[in-house]
Amino acid sequence: MPRHPDVPAYVPDIYSAQSILDPYPHYAELRQLGPVVWLPKHGVYALPRYAECKAVLLDDKTFTSGEGVGLNPVTNRLSRGTTLNSDGEDHAGRRALVAHRLTPRALRTMTEAVERQAAEIVDAALARRDVDGVDIAEALPTAVVPDLVGWPQEHRKNLLSWGAATFDVLGPLNGRAAAATLRGLGVMRFARGVVRRRSVLPGSMGDDLLGAADEGRIARSECPALMIDYLVPSLDTTLSAIASALHLFATHPGQWQLLKDDPGLIPNAVNEVVRYESPLRAFSRKVAKDTEVAGTALRAGSRVLVLYASANRDALEWEDPDTFDIRRDASRQLGFGRGTHGCAGQGLARLEIQSMLRALVARVEKIVPTGEPEWGLNNIIRRLQRLPLELVPA
Amino acid sequence: MRISVDHARCEGHGLCAGQAPDVFDLDDDAQVVYLFEGGTVPPEHLAAARAAVNVCPVAALRELQH
Repeated sequence: MPRHPDVPAYVPDIYSAQSILDPYPHYAELRQLGPVVWLPKHGVYALPRYAECKAVLLDDKTFTSGEGVGLNPVTNRLSRGTTLNSDGEDHAGRRALVAHRLTPRALRTMTEAVERQAAEIVDAALARRDVDGVDIAEALPTAVVPDLVGWPQEHRKNLLSWGAATFDVLGPLNGRAAAATLRGLGVMRFARGVVRRRSVLPGSMGDDLLGAADEGRIARSECPALMIDYLVPSLDTTLSAIASALHLFATHPGQWQLLKDDPGLIPNAVNEVVRYESPLRAFSRKVAKDTEVAGTALRAGSRVLVLYASANRDALEWEDPDTFDIRRDASRQLGFGRGTHGCAGQGLARLEIQSMLRALVARVEKIVPTGEPEWGLNNIIRRLQRLPLELVPA
Repeated sequence: MRISVDHARCEGHGLCAGQAPDVFDLDDDAQVVYLFEGGTVPPEHLAAARAAVNVCPVAALRELQH
């Protein structure tokens, strides 16, 4: 799709290893160039500012997901049939299958168990004192989500690696996407087996799904993709936010003290963490009909890249956006998306992250960095892969 | 200011009630309740109500222009 002549272009690859490790300078340059910026390397229009990202997410009739939200045609074709990749009534029907499990009311029954698990995780970490924050961040999502989805006990150790692969293939067709393809197929093969053998846990989301297929409300052939759809977005993303929270509070001791002094700030602290280090950097949408974004004409068939992680650092929307401050009202951050495709599991994610922060605030005096943190390389997810910390008990 | 609530879209995330507890509540089924149903939001709650419309994760709340 040729570029519109009046649109500024940004040549550097925002999916190179260097850009992934340090994306924010690139996003700042994109925002500086304008509200719509052509990325010649990927053949898409990037939307780096808050207002346009939000407007596009809310207009799901013009900016569609049914032909994929990734950046390469292979994945966009293969992932048809998921909730992520569908529009209109197909999407609403698939989403309704799970939404009732994820409402605050449904989650209320889980709250006590999640908080107890969080407390156990923090107690165990405090006993070790010197820890990798990523291990702490991993513990709660991997304890909570697979049971809720109903994933059988076998292969649980593969889930994180499968999840990372499923995100990598949503990027452009670069080396990372290619390397992840086999693992992505592995998770699909396993999910097909789970559906065929009906080896989901009783009473789980997966169990509901197979029940809906039995009643003919959805096609059985859709079930494997939907099982992956429930599981994958629920692990790496929440893990990312918990690890980033640990990192941010370790490097901003004044903010940690504020949180300890007033745990009522915890719900907003979750928003600020997700704003400051958005776990999902970007997804795309296909333009369904000729339209306009911020005065730029976009032809039907072109693709826009919604840069959540850049929108959340846009100085036109946020005062002092590169400062981490849990006192600002960060509730309108776009890290969970917005609108019909807004994260269905955000209630659960918030519950997990808040539970971890509550357990930490009650037990930990100081979080001290003891080495250089390392960020992981993934086409979609921003997350730490190593975070050496010392937890000083209260 | 009047607000329309799309109950089919609402999934009960409850962020509106967090922003504007005097304007929105959640019932026992975690469905949103708009406390000024059919009427306009009183001036003292306008800012909170707008913030609530702004944060609805599924865009179930809409500010009506008249």
